[in-house]
Order: sequence, then structure tokens, then C-alpha cells
Amino acid sequence: MREKFRLTEVWCKIALLFLFSAFYVLALPFPEKSRQFPQLLALVSFALTAIALVLDFTRRSAVQAEFSDVDNTELAVLDGATKRVRRKRYYRAWAIVIVSTGVGILGGFFFSALFLIGGFSVLFGNRENVKRNTLAGAAIMLGVYIVFGKLMGVPLLSGLLW
Amino acid sequence: MDVVLQAIGFVFQWQTLAALAAGTVYGIIIGLLPGLGPSAGMALALPLVIKWDPAMALIFMGSLYKCSTYGGSITAILVNTPGDASNAATVLDGHPMCQQGRGGVALGLSATSAMVGGTIGMICLIFAAPMLAEFALKFGPAEYFLTAMLALSIISAVVQGATIKGLIAAGLGLLLSTVGFDVITGHLRYTFDWTPLEDGVPLIQALVGLFAVTQALVLAESAASISRLARLAGGFWEGVAIYFRHPVVFLRAAAIGLFVGVLPAVGQSSAGLLAWADAKRSSKHPEKFGDGSPEGVLASETATSACMPGDLVCTIALGIPGSLGAAIFLGVMIVFGVAPGPLAFTEKADVIYSLFVALILTSFVIFVIGMTVARRLAVITLLPNDIIVPLILVISLLGSFAIRNEMSDVIISVVFGALGYVMLKGGFTPIPLLLGLVLGEMVETNYHRALLISGGSYTIFHASVISQVLIALTVLSLAGPYLGSYWRTLTQGEK
Repeated sequence: MREKFRLTEVWCKIALLFLFSAFYVLALPFPEKSRQFPQLLALVSFALTAIALVLDFTRRSAVQAEFSDVDNTELAVLDGATKRVRRKRYYRAWAIVIVSTGVGILGGFFFSALFLIGGFSVLFGNRENVKRNTLAGAAIMLGVYIVFGKLMGVPLLSGLLW
Repeated sequence: MDVVLQAIGFVFQWQTLAALAAGTVYGIIIGLLPGLGPSAGMALALPLVIKWDPAMALIFMGSLYKCSTYGGSITAILVNTPGDASNAATVLDGHPMCQQGRGGVALGLSATSAMVGGTIGMICLIFAAPMLAEFALKFGPAEYFLTAMLALSIISAVVQGATIKGLIAAGLGLLLSTVGFDVITGHLRYTFDWTPLEDGVPLIQALVGLFAVTQALVLAESAASISRLARLAGGFWEGVAIYFRHPVVFLRAAAIGLFVGVLPAVGQSSAGLLAWADAKRSSKHPEKFGDGSPEGVLASETATSACMPGDLVCTIALGIPGSLGAAIFLGVMIVFGVAPGPLAFTEKADVIYSLFVALILTSFVIFVIGMTVARRLAVITLLPNDIIVPLILVISLLGSFAIRNEMSDVIISVVFGALGYVMLKGGFTPIPLLLGLVLGEMVETNYHRALLISGGSYTIFHASVISQVLIALTVLSLAGPYLGSYWRTLTQGEK
């Protein structure tokens, strides 16, 4: 049972159950015609998610029982190491996206783009590639400036600070 | 006839030709990059063309959608990696040909297939779509509601082989479409007093988030570049000559592609594989298939190219997307104010026929590009992920920002990017969610209209023969995945 709660899919479905419940409850104060459709959808989606969750628990038990005598220790170690590396890269990527969005809100999208390019160069690139990444970053920024800033007239420097 | 002549005149203006060429090149580049299919490509490009004339923007998007499939065949042949699941069958013979020093021949075959398959498909589309649209004039609100339900159930059932998960995602999409002003009462729903949501969840920003941002995050997880290029040898024109020496094979493949394309939600990947299997079965040398047979490449690529116009038949005439890419294209059409359905052929005839003419022309442009610069374009797959990822993020988020010059749009895209990523990791695909979001308003409006007509009675939803057929098809589409292996063979494998 504990193993099943480690699965992203299971947590995703539990989160969806809460989300659909929230859609149903939040619609209660709406006028009847406004709440009818979203509440109907929320109910059906809730029921489907609950069924999927129950199936997850019953089906996975059957599959695990089939493979219970297979020794996969080595594979599990390799899999774990790969997962850790990927997770680290994923967290970094998200950190860059969130920080750059924040910077964009403050100083304008130009700085957001700068943070995205710089962030990925520093946190994802190798030291040997500094020159290449800097050149690529400069080329992207130049392209952004010409296409969006000059041709499309997008205010790249419009933020909360100025 | 006048409309067609006007459309031809419009397409041959230099601005339209430039848009067509740009969409073609961009589509091929997107197709070259494994992981970036037509969905992400259209999501990335949409903010850039949002202020264009609708006909020109749809031509750009249509060319992009059409050419991304061809782009995928180049990597399938050169680097043994299909750019999209639709090119999966091309790998079987295309890459072995490349390894045997006949990569140029294989590329010539795929470029010719794109031209011939695409042209045959488009000619059939031009005749079939208006007929289907005329039939759709018999539809009332209940039938439209059921048609949307059918589209959602088909996409949910076949998109990943897990019907319940697909339906859950579609339900979430429909629920998200209820955010903002209620079309019936004008009441604000689920906005939490946040102004950017008052007009509903913005479709383009959501699309950018769900496909471009999510895809960038998936790519960010792995290091290195997408591929290494293989050695290229053999004549391109030899491929063209071989192609026209097999008229029966390419005509059969085009017919299979068209048929599979017209079936709602059955993807291009199935078309290529079915045509490959058919060519092998009818060949005098079936043993050569899978070992570098030119017939294998031409059958799979012709079917895939003919499939895309087939996809568009139901998308344009009925609003039922024929595939995942078509689902996005449906969203693009709505964004540009071209509502799919029978009225599109009267109210927006100029746009629709310009799109058709342009897509025929695109088939020839693909051929020219394929025969000249395809090899050079494939170099893009050597770009490392630490350059591709920020490039995708900057273009997509900036595109999202450029629509209203509001950072709130970037936030919406990032939130949808997170949602798409979590869904992917949780075993869900975001396609039904997007379709729910696109069709949500139409579903709710027609639901209320039908009940208004019937005085609140639900019998209206099964009163007509068309409604009964639509209900039967919906049930069949939901039960289909449980019917056996044939269904799985037919529908599996879209990216």
C-alpha cells in the first residue's frame, strides 16, 4: 500500500479529486443556470477519477504479484540514479523559470529572457561551452530584440519598477 | 468557382507566399526535432502570427502542420529517430537505406511522397469537406452538443490508450472552460477577482503553456543534444525515379492515408504503419521490408502525407479533430475567428479555400526544400538541450506576453506548463484537456440551447436519427479500446 502512494500518478489523481470537489463547492453560490454545467462536469469527473484510483490499486497489486520473484535490484539502483539526476535538472529548470518570471514582472520581459538564457547557460552548460553558450545567448537576445522589440513593437522593458 | 479563383489570387500574392514558405521551413525544422511535434510547433508560433490576417495566419499554421510530418522523416532516415510518431514506419526502411549508403535516395523518396501524397489528399479534401459540411447543416444544438461529446470521447479513448484518464483530462478542460463570464447568465465564475481571467482562460496562453513550456521542461531533464547525424550518400533524383516506378504502391498508400485520416482521432502513425504493412503484404519481395526497401519508405511516407488532409476534413466540416495536431489546428481556427462547421464554407469561404489552395502549393514547396536544403536543416538536431530549452522558453513565453503585453499572460502560460508537466508525469496527456478547453463554450451553449428548445426535457438529446447515431458512435469509441487488438493496432502511438 505504501509503495502505491509513492507513485506520481496516484498523487495526481488524489489532487484531481480535491480539484473537482473544489469546482463543485465553489459553484454552489452561482445562479442555477451558471452552476448546472460545471457541477455536472465536476461530479462526472470526480466519479471517473475515483474509479481510476480504485483501478490503480487493484490492477497494480495483480501485476506486482506476477513479478514478485524477479530480482531487479541492479536495475532499481540504476533507475534511482537516473531519476535523481533528472529530478535535479527539473528543479533547476523550474527555479530558472520562476525566478525569470518574477524578474520579468519587476523589470520587463527583456530581463526575463536574459535570466532564462543566462540561467540555463550557467546551471545546465559545461565550463568548456561558456564561449559557445554566450554567443548563442547573444544571438537569441538579438533575435528577440529585432523580431519582438523592433518589428512587433512589444514593450520589452515595461515592468513594475519603471 | 469565383471563390476558388479569388483564393488562388490571394495565395499567389508575395506576402502569402512568404507566409507559406516561412510556415513550411518552420514546420520542417519543428518536425526535425524529436519531441517537438506539430502541437508544440503551432503553440510556439501562434503568438507570433496572432495579429496577422486570419487567412494568412491559417496558411502559415496549415503549412507548419503539414510540413512537420515531413521534417520528422528526415531524422527518421538520417538519425534513426522519428521526429514524430507518424514517421515511425519510415525508420523501418529509411534508416537501413541510409546505412547502406542510400540516404539520398531515401530522402528523395520521402520528399516525393510528401508532394504526391499531400496533393492527392488535398484534392480529395477540397471535394469531400463541403459535402460533409452540407450534411452538417441538418444539425441542431443537441446534435452539436453530441458531436462535441463524440470528439472528446474519441480523443480521450485513443490518445493514450487509457480511456478513463483521457476522459478525466477532457473533464478538467471543460471545467476550465467555465472560468470567466458565463455565456448564458453573464455571471462571473471561478475568477477569484483576478481580472485576466474574466474573459475566460486565454486559449493561446494555455496552449503555449501546455505544449511549448511543458515540452521545454521535459527536454531540460536530459542532457546532451538530440542526435548525431549519419553519413549521407546516394542521389536524391534516383529516389524520385524509384517513386514513380511504383504507382500502384503509392496510390494504395494514399488511399489508406486518406481513409485513416478521415476516421476521427486515428493518427498519422497508424496510417504510415498500415500502409507499410499493406505494401509489404502486396510486394513481390516482402523479405526486403525492414531491411532498406524503398517501397517501405514510399508507402509509409505517402500514407502519412495523405493522412493530414484527411484529418482536416472532419476538423473543418464538423469540428471533430482527426488527430492531435488537428485538435490544435481546431483551436487555432477558433482563435482566428474561423468557427469550424458548415457555416465556415459560406461565411469564411475565402479563408477556407485560400487554406486549401495554399496547402496544395505547400506539397510542392516541401518537395523543393526537401530536394535542396533538407540535409542542412537536419543539423539543427545537433543543438544541445541547454540552448534549445531556453530558446523554446524565451520564444513561447515572449509570444504569450506579446499578445496583450501583460506579464499575467506569462504567469498563465507558466501555470499551464506546470499543469501539463504534472499531467505527463502522472500518466495523463494534455491533449483532451486542450480539446475540452477549446470546445467548452460550444458544449455548454448548445447544452443550454437544446434544453431551452425542449422545455428542459433531456429527450431532445436522442430524439433525431443523427443524435442516435452520434450517441452510438460515442459509446463505440469509449468501448472500442476494450474490443481487442485490432483497435489498438489502429489507434496506438501518437506523440
